[in-house]
Amino acid sequence: MATLNLKGITKIYPHSGGQKKPKKGAPEKKTNLQVTDKGVVAVQQFDLDIRDKEFIVLVGPSGCGKSTTLRMVAGLEEISGGELYIDGKLMNDVEPKNRDIAMVFQSYALYPHMTVYENMAFPLKLRKMPKDEIDRRVKEAAETLDITQYLDRKPKALSGGQRQRVAIGRAIVREPKVLLMDEPLSNLDAKLRNQMRAEIIKLRQKINTTFMYVTHDQTEAMTLGDRIVIMKDGFIQQIGTPQEVFDHPANLFVAGFIGMPQMNFFDAQLKNEGGKYSVSVGGCTVELSEEKQANLTAHGVAAQDITLGVRPSHMVLSKEPGNTLSATVEVSEMMGSEVHFHANAGGKDVVVIVPTMDAEGQHIDSFHAGDQLNLTFSGSVCHIFDHEGRNLEF
Amino acid sequence: MENKRSHGREILAHVVLIILAFMCLFFFYILIINATRSHAQLQLGFSALPGSSLVTNFKNVINDPAIPILRGVLNSLIVSGCCAAIVTYFSALTAYGIYAYDFRLKKAAFTFIMAILVMPTQVTALGFLRLITNMGMDDSLLPLIIPSIASPAVFYFMHSYMQSSLPKDLIEAARIDGSMEFSTFNRIVLPIMKPAIAVQAIFTFVGSWNNYFIPALVITSKNKQTLPIMIATLRGADYMNFDMGKIYMMITIAIVPIIIIYLLLSKFIVEGVTLGGVKE
Repeated sequence: MATLNLKGITKIYPHSGGQKKPKKGAPEKKTNLQVTDKGVVAVQQFDLDIRDKEFIVLVGPSGCGKSTTLRMVAGLEEISGGELYIDGKLMNDVEPKNRDIAMVFQSYALYPHMTVYENMAFPLKLRKMPKDEIDRRVKEAAETLDITQYLDRKPKALSGGQRQRVAIGRAIVREPKVLLMDEPLSNLDAKLRNQMRAEIIKLRQKINTTFMYVTHDQTEAMTLGDRIVIMKDGFIQQIGTPQEVFDHPANLFVAGFIGMPQMNFFDAQLKNEGGKYSVSVGGCTVELSEEKQANLTAHGVAAQDITLGVRPSHMVLSKEPGNTLSATVEVSEMMGSEVHFHANAGGKDVVVIVPTMDAEGQHIDSFHAGDQLNLTFSGSVCHIFDHEGRNLEF
Repeated sequence: MENKRSHGREILAHVVLIILAFMCLFFFYILIINATRSHAQLQLGFSALPGSSLVTNFKNVINDPAIPILRGVLNSLIVSGCCAAIVTYFSALTAYGIYAYDFRLKKAAFTFIMAILVMPTQVTALGFLRLITNMGMDDSLLPLIIPSIASPAVFYFMHSYMQSSLPKDLIEAARIDGSMEFSTFNRIVLPIMKPAIAVQAIFTFVGSWNNYFIPALVITSKNKQTLPIMIATLRGADYMNFDMGKIYMMITIAIVPIIIIYLLLSKFIVEGVTLGGVKE
């Protein structure tokens, strides 16, 4: 139960002996982290205020700095710049054990020579808690996580899911102010991951604490988080509720990262005729919704070349060609209640999601490779990005 | 056809293994048999059957005032036991320091320790001897024990073992759980290192038990001699009064503790050799 304030948090990994600042023209690395004279900047100016009992999810691709940020909050990494407050107290130079936080690791990090009970009791023993209190707390946590029957087992006799429950148990017995989770479900198979995700949601309702959760899986981020922090190359890209970031992505990266299948992007033109904004893509011109009109007008956006984003589920099939975007089906994926068509629209890959049945249970005509699709979309669901990738509505 | 061939291979493998096992164990057998024979019987030549002088030889060894064998066994046990304990603990501690912490000159420290590995004991013996004489520690068991704290080979083994079997997440989890650094080492790291410690403990014990060079330089008084020196003294004695039965008995007494230690720790040794190669 605590608030968490990160103010301008920065992490710089200094150059080690053999590793110098790359010369100009050197081949680019996988990530585009900024390299300065001081070193590689893994996290830049991270500002975030986390409310009491809030569930915050940091999400982003590998190397974006999300785990580093979490480790700085835990005290496992030194903070190079900025200030970290837990419950209003500056924590920059406080030892991990004195921060009153608990952490669940991707690798579970259970002590292999101790039983489940001993693993969970370990942090309490270190705090010199009375034995009966330790016993009560361990049993209560085991009950919550449904691992009571495994208390006498060693971790190696448990399955991945059970191990992760024990790891969570070890974290919650202490009733920490903040519970940090570093990709806790990444080592589990898909089915178990879904199950554990639901468990974490239930757990969250049972224990009153502030959560900070790191994942690279956007589904986890969307389902678990009260708010999501999307990161890339050490920078925060957007902070918002799952619905906000899905409906109003701040930039191209967020638009592409959140949502499955990925959002479709087109090269398009933003037109402004008589104060009315419309977008034009491949022979299809769509007038924007009132809300979007207002946003663009408020920002005084001029007509320009843009990148237009439309989610696959927002693409609409039109029976007649006309004011539509035409595309050729390349692959169709039957998903049960819907079909994903992968099509080519003027050299751009487009994904279109079409339900297999209408509301009356009638099968909708299917398409095959080589068939022509006439696509259109509503002016309220498209997203407009400038040439730098910024959402023009922001 | 295929079955027959694999059967033949199995027989061949067993024959080879039997020969190898025979070659390894035969000398122990001869040693024990000879320890039961008197000097006169031994001079008659080889015999595969035990003699009747076991008790006599044992009494001769125990009661020889010139060679306080029990004292020797005790000295050897003290030196080897202490060496095994401190070498494993401090090497693991050093390896942990290099493995778990990031500090300036970490790589240099590692390289420096590795450089000591290539230095033979004989090269440093003279300097070592002068040092302990100046420190007033000559003719004492301490100089046989204390230097084993710094053992680069054991350090390297421990470091490699940590790289394969000690995830850093565990150390970090312990830190967050509230464990102090030393307590993390003693309560989390050491139990995980048990197989590596057992392997190195037995190697060090055996090495120290059989060590002749340094004890021969350091020890002068009789009641501080270790077993290898006593056996050498006996062999160097007057040839005419040379009792072979006694010597064999003495060597038997010298190897018994090693066999016991090996039997106690063999489970760990096998585990230690195979562990780390397979990820769970």
